[in-house]
Amino acid sequence: MVCRKLFICLIFGIISFFTSHSFANAPQSNADENNRRDSAYIDSITRIKSTKDDTSSEKLNTFSEKNYGPLYDYYLDKADRAYSIGFFKRAKRFYEKAALINPNSLYIKYRISQIDNTKGKLNSLILYFNFDKPGLLIRSLTYLVVYFIISMIIILLFILMNRRRMENIEKKEQYLKERYQELLVDYLFSSESSPVILKQFNDLLASSFNQKILINQMIDLSINLTGDAKEKLRNLYLVLYLDKVSINKVYSPHWHIKIKGFHELSFMDITDANEEIIRCLQSKNEIVRMEAQLAMVRLNHEDPFGFLDHLEKPFTLWEQLTIYETIIFHNIPVPSFDRWLFSKNKSVIIFAIRMIDLFKQKEAYSNLFWMLVNDDPEIRYNTIYVIGNLKNKEALPHLKRLYKTENYQNCRAIIQAMGKMPDISMLNFLKLVLDKEDDVQLQIDAAIAIHNMGEEGEKALEKLLDSDYKNYQIIVKHVLDKRIN
Amino acid sequence: MDFFFEILQFVVNNFIFILTVILFSSYILLAIISAITLRSYLRKNSYVDYNSIILAPVTPSISVIAPAHNEEITIVDNIRALLSLYYNNFEVIVVNDGSKDNTFKKMVEAYDLEKVNYFFDYRIPCERIKGVYKSKNRSFKKLTVIDKVNGGKADALNAGINISKNQLICSIDVDSIMEPDALLKMVKPFMEETDKPVIATGGVIRIANSCEVEGGQITQIRVPEKFLPRVQVLEYTRAFLMARMAWGRLNGLLIISGALGMFDKETVIKCGGYSTSTVGEDMELVVRMRRYMIERKLKYDVIFIPDPLVWTEVPSTLKILGRQRNRWTRGTIETLVTHKKMFLNPKYGILGFLSYPFWMFFEWLAPLIEFLGYVYFIFLIIFGQPNWSFFYLLLAFVFTFAISMSTWAVLFEEMTFHKYKHKSEIFMLILTGILEPFFFHPLIVFWSIRGNIDYLRGVRSWGKMEREGFKKKKKTE
Repeated sequence: MVCRKLFICLIFGIISFFTSHSFANAPQSNADENNRRDSAYIDSITRIKSTKDDTSSEKLNTFSEKNYGPLYDYYLDKADRAYSIGFFKRAKRFYEKAALINPNSLYIKYRISQIDNTKGKLNSLILYFNFDKPGLLIRSLTYLVVYFIISMIIILLFILMNRRRMENIEKKEQYLKERYQELLVDYLFSSESSPVILKQFNDLLASSFNQKILINQMIDLSINLTGDAKEKLRNLYLVLYLDKVSINKVYSPHWHIKIKGFHELSFMDITDANEEIIRCLQSKNEIVRMEAQLAMVRLNHEDPFGFLDHLEKPFTLWEQLTIYETIIFHNIPVPSFDRWLFSKNKSVIIFAIRMIDLFKQKEAYSNLFWMLVNDDPEIRYNTIYVIGNLKNKEALPHLKRLYKTENYQNCRAIIQAMGKMPDISMLNFLKLVLDKEDDVQLQIDAAIAIHNMGEEGEKALEKLLDSDYKNYQIIVKHVLDKRIN
Repeated sequence: MDFFFEILQFVVNNFIFILTVILFSSYILLAIISAITLRSYLRKNSYVDYNSIILAPVTPSISVIAPAHNEEITIVDNIRALLSLYYNNFEVIVVNDGSKDNTFKKMVEAYDLEKVNYFFDYRIPCERIKGVYKSKNRSFKKLTVIDKVNGGKADALNAGINISKNQLICSIDVDSIMEPDALLKMVKPFMEETDKPVIATGGVIRIANSCEVEGGQITQIRVPEKFLPRVQVLEYTRAFLMARMAWGRLNGLLIISGALGMFDKETVIKCGGYSTSTVGEDMELVVRMRRYMIERKLKYDVIFIPDPLVWTEVPSTLKILGRQRNRWTRGTIETLVTHKKMFLNPKYGILGFLSYPFWMFFEWLAPLIEFLGYVYFIFLIIFGQPNWSFFYLLLAFVFTFAISMSTWAVLFEEMTFHKYKHKSEIFMLILTGILEPFFFHPLIVFWSIRGNIDYLRGVRSWGKMEREGFKKKKKTE
């Protein structure tokens, strides 16, 4: 509390320091005089005008009759400039230097007295500056107004030009797409000689934009191709030196270009930049890291999932799912995922557990059991969940034992797992859960698990339905209502 | 007297001036951060295939909760649109919050609903739930309808949370139109979380006035024809794309719009659910969730997604708009007062030092200060004080700044999602931006003042919100 008050005091202190320090020292201005509405204003105007006139005539006289030298002019200029932008201490310093050369200058005396007279007085920042004496604020505001107006016009023009540009790009893209599609079909499936088609391709590959369109077309096409046609397409990619374009992208310092390179190489199965991709597996940029992982799964033919051995950063659910999808859609050989059950990276272990479930790797059971005693509750949760999905009844006694020590979420997972692999030996335990637990979700889970046991389970529930004890009736009705579950 | 006058001038001029400088600078700074974040987001997501979430076997389960109160005209279509969202692991919970019209009857008839023996716990207090309904038709098995005693939007959402079976809850306004892939985009940050759990995600709300709607989906996007909705397009673009995006990046976002937000259910429940004692329940929940995490020294993230995820009809009459802004002001004050402990409190980091003061000075107090500025200026005129030349310059500065920000907002929209295809629409938006400071902004100040007065008077009602309804697609011969 005290600390917060101190902070508030500090903030206000800083604000008041700046306001008082910067502006309280400001000299009394014409406008301030105006505020006072006294005759001093008129006097001061007259004075400043006269002094200015004096000074200009003085300067003129000085120039024609008595020359104080370039140093004097230099000091005066500096001082005036500092004064006009509100740097009064600096201004005074230069006025004083100028005064050493010309001690009789009325102008200098007036300026110094202006600066001195106003020390310690409260001054309004806004009313101080006016058009008679353009200050930093006035100039800044004027510039900003001009800037805003110009920027508005520029933005409007930019938007209009951008629209025109986009329309043109769209038209060009459409034309190129059609043309490339024709050529690709001809190249892959017609009997026309390759050199002729290649020449046509080369003629159309004049710019990087054209290259980009062709690469995208080839990638789209490659998704639907297999066997010889795919190999032919890959050869075309090499012959047109598009692989070099993709490799250059991989080495780009810009992450979004790098990723594009990863995509292109993995679709075209070009392994020349694997070294750089491997380096990117530990990138701090999560997107680069993920895309490098995806590329590796497709380009590292010997050990597609080898990167998991060295992965230090968290392996997010999103990354895990994209890898899973890559395995499915690109026919990547599925490894034994229990290899990573003892990884140092928690997220890799969870990935391995999930994959064991999704690929039904029953040979991983023995190792999976060890995960039930892992220190991390999230790993235990996933293990319990997967054991339930894999319907491994051997685990039931372990799960029952674990129930006493687990957290709420894991307890629910245990009861749900028991519901997925119904076993009559668990009936009493589940009844006990229903009886002892107060949490509605746990009660419902337990009742569902009992219900899944078939005839005996249903009998047990019917018995409970007759009971007035606790809220059994409503729980059992909920569980038996097929519209709900 | 002179001394008094001098002090008054010093305080008022300098305070307003400094506040204005900070306000304008923070707008510019936020816009710059937003632009950088937006660029990065768009680049990152240009490679994302959201279909992989649809096909994925392990995805977080979501309960979409839609409170409905007197929505008989649109409820059937809106539920259909919700049921057809792209996602594989979700349920839709529609809460009939004591509607006095035929909302409930229409739902029962259209979806063949019947009461089920649903057992649930009031984990968050809410008004009595009269019944839970499911469809006899298995095609609608994702749909659950709750019929409850009226308790307001927050209460209805709490009832939905109590019934929800899933990990995440997605609160929406039932009369809004969600983009079909909205759930995919909102759930992705939850799937990307690392050591920092994501507790909430929010997205951009776009304006559907004058857009064509068919079967609960937007088929033609247009700039609103009327001035008031059109000016709100600029307002929303500035707020979402140029400010909230930056706050999200700074981890200082204090609000996720009630029209669409996704939350971690357990965190919401631990925080006590939506507050029924405020009309700004959306902002209040986010602030409370953040406080909950910070006070327990738990790592967390709140993510803002710049994609247009939901389309809503905004008020097109001064009366309704005034009520809405009045409510927003009261909601902001209530939230800020409830969580006043956060103000400049180092414990809350960026929330206490940046977000809270920003909202306090620039969302709550700025209209009041602006109003005081008007009064002060009139006072100066009466006493013959104003420096007119400076006044004109300052006026030009403020107006050109405001118009410039609107122009930048149009540019942001153009460079990101490019929803308005016709050139004439861009001109219309820019023209609206030029008119806004003269005709719209003073009204906003007025309604804010009214909101402050109503807050002090203890007004807690929402105010009736009438809608015109979406523009249906014209049938072609």
